[in-house]
Amino acid sequence: MNSAAPATTEQPTTPSLRNRLISFIAIGEVGVIAALLLLVAFFYFMQPAFLSERNIRAILNVVSFVGIIAIGQTILLVAGEFDLSVGSVAGVSAVIAAQLMTALAWPVPLAILGGMGVGALIGLINGIIVVKFRIPAFIQTLGMLFIGQGLIQLVTGGYPVYPLPKEVSDFGMSTFAFGLGWSFAFFIVAAIVADFVLRRTVLGRNLYATGGNPEVARLVGINTTIYKIGAFITVGALSAVAGMFVMADLQSGTTSIGSGWELIVIAGVVVGGVSLFGGAGTIAGGVVGILMLKVVQSGLVVIGVNSNWQQIAVGVIMVLAVGLDILRRRYFTVGAGAKAAAAKKSDSKTSGA
Amino acid sequence: MDPIFSARGIVKAFAGVQALRGVDFNVLAGEIHALLGQNGAGKSTLVKILNGVHPAGSYTGEITLAGQPVSFASPAAARAAGVGYVPQEIEVLEQLSVAENVFAGHTGLGEGVLIYRHKLEDRTRAILDDLGLTIDPKAIVASLTSAQRHLVMIARALALKPRVLMLDEPTASLSGTEVDALLEVLRRLKRQGVTMIYITHRLPEVLAVCDRATVLRDGRVAAELGREEFEEDRFIFAMSGQRLQKLFPPHEAPVGARPMLAVEHLSVAGKPGAIYGARDVSFSVAAGEIVGLAGLLGSGRSEILHGIFGRVPAEGTVKVDGQAIAIRSPRDARDAGIALLTEDRKRDGLLFNLPVGANITIGNLDPLSARGMVRGDRERSAILEAMRQLNVKASSPQASVAHLSGGNQQKLLFARVLMRAPKVLLLDEPTKGVDAATRQEIYRLVVELANKGVALVVVSSELEEVLGLCDRCLTIADGRIVDTFKRGEGGEDRVLRAVAAAQAETVRAAS
Repeated sequence: MNSAAPATTEQPTTPSLRNRLISFIAIGEVGVIAALLLLVAFFYFMQPAFLSERNIRAILNVVSFVGIIAIGQTILLVAGEFDLSVGSVAGVSAVIAAQLMTALAWPVPLAILGGMGVGALIGLINGIIVVKFRIPAFIQTLGMLFIGQGLIQLVTGGYPVYPLPKEVSDFGMSTFAFGLGWSFAFFIVAAIVADFVLRRTVLGRNLYATGGNPEVARLVGINTTIYKIGAFITVGALSAVAGMFVMADLQSGTTSIGSGWELIVIAGVVVGGVSLFGGAGTIAGGVVGILMLKVVQSGLVVIGVNSNWQQIAVGVIMVLAVGLDILRRRYFTVGAGAKAAAAKKSDSKTSGA
Repeated sequence: MDPIFSARGIVKAFAGVQALRGVDFNVLAGEIHALLGQNGAGKSTLVKILNGVHPAGSYTGEITLAGQPVSFASPAAARAAGVGYVPQEIEVLEQLSVAENVFAGHTGLGEGVLIYRHKLEDRTRAILDDLGLTIDPKAIVASLTSAQRHLVMIARALALKPRVLMLDEPTASLSGTEVDALLEVLRRLKRQGVTMIYITHRLPEVLAVCDRATVLRDGRVAAELGREEFEEDRFIFAMSGQRLQKLFPPHEAPVGARPMLAVEHLSVAGKPGAIYGARDVSFSVAAGEIVGLAGLLGSGRSEILHGIFGRVPAEGTVKVDGQAIAIRSPRDARDAGIALLTEDRKRDGLLFNLPVGANITIGNLDPLSARGMVRGDRERSAILEAMRQLNVKASSPQASVAHLSGGNQQKLLFARVLMRAPKVLLLDEPTKGVDAATRQEIYRLVVELANKGVALVVVSSELEEVLGLCDRCLTIADGRIVDTFKRGEGGEDRVLRAVAAAQAETVRAAS
């Protein structure tokens, strides 16, 4: 039925420069990377101190915390679900780990494992309720956001857990290279591993299939239940890790750890081209998206813009980024056939509406 | 007689490829004009030009409506000028009433900003009466069958009193009786003086209701035929450019082959909305045999396949090659050597977020990977081999599946299910929405697979297909097998009689 098909299936045998350029722009992450570079150049132009060693280090350290969660969120979004409770989970896991190592005097490694276990367990609960009982992820994880906030207060009585064992404080202050904390090292390693899994493994391919169309995935023999629940557990565990890194950084089990992260994480990965509808997006995109939001927040501070404007900037950027991404897809990735398809879609909207 | 709606010298190219190379198309007032052609012949492109999806300026040539030259900038402009269009896919607002659907988005009702429900309902009732339908305007569309929804879309197009009504494959998802009912509606509209363009793949419908026909091939008009020239052979010749000797390749059921698939006392609960699932169905298929399931839409044909494949919970026993298999999920069925090609390519077949290549290998990656990692080289060669074997035409394995024609999409899905070399292949409407050439390829493939010893079950709404392709035909009605006969032991009349008898029996049992 698609007579436009020959137009798109036919391609010149030797790619011209123009075609090569188009296919380059068509790579998902190019747009957001270009935007990131532009923003960096802009802030540097406005205030050269933006690219000072100290500021770069500060940005990267902050990015590493939410970035660790963004990796999990990207995987979960690819699998077709999302999690709004990541900030609460980070907080709960951190304060529980803090209590385990202080009030219960557990050895530090065991307490850290305990904190990760809490995160993974919450992820498991989210996953089972969403996948098995078919409660929408929005509802379940929003509920878990509140439950987590309550648990933080219950566990701590409202006061920061302080002081932490010396190993934790030392670890929080130590650096692995260029003055960057261990959280950054973990973030980079986790991103590389997750990227490899998504792009190169059977597991990754099956995750994309599950997010793209769960029924098709089931029909080709993929156990979508396991994949989705596994993705929820991954997000939970990674949120716990991020929360505990912040705890070590602050040298205190503060009750505000993770507060408000859920939205910045989702905004960031979406800016990076990860689809809210499942089945599309890459780790590189998600990570660069988060980096971009943090660059904007920091840049506005450095050039002396009122902090209230930061929030506005994040909102504008998110809508702009996703809007531009949709336009880019329409014009580059897909060419004439898609334009026809898009036209058909808009027609069906008008005729069906 | 001057045409009421005509296109002259239409030329349209996409990225350098000529889709239409100077097409003249003339529709006379009051007629039903068939527009035919294979996929890629330029049919959809012409339709999209006529209904404004491809705006004026994106093609050359001229269009006149009632003697006046027109140029449509958008589908809305075409609608406003009097070109009604009923798309192939059902697009309704499920939670609204029939009346609200019929008038949704139509401006200029002369009511101001307020909507008076009873007026909408009265006007809808008038349109439905004209169509000879008894659908309640107050009914919520979600409660209607898909055939009724299609009629609501036709009513919607008629609400604007179009000069010309274009119907894009209106029978693609209808069963036999529903098709007859729809054709009756079209005859009725014709008596009321409505001019219609009927876009279809199905020749019998053209022969049944159309007055004239235009056949496109390779972007040109291959034939313009009047009713007196209508002959199936002539259409096929015009569409394909060659005379098709035999539509179905010959195949004989192997004698004394062992049963590859045995289904015993299979029962499947009906979906909410569908009345019957499957009730105590037993049959077997030998290695190398093609068995067809004939019956009306909703008779339980698809449910039987879904039950065997573990897509829906089922009771009963399924044996593959003599071995009873516990099938709790499609995965169990797949591991036992069963494969299913689903009816709805877009909903249950293709993964639109993955490219052509990954769509073929999804679910089949184990032999193409080592320690969980996909081996890019092995995967690529497997994909290219599968695309070559099944003649899937795509620019590359990285191409998007959304751009493939229906026929190529279907061949891609065949490539996917065949990658595991199944022992049992269940095909649900394998040629639905597929052009004549691909249809031939699929028939040849089915016979080839049977010759290799695969046991095949084919569900089709086209009786001709079941009777021509299959060695044995099981007639399904109300979720039961009501008749079984071998190739040559009966024709379409036998199937229809068996269905009618079963329905009569059900009615008797109910009263």
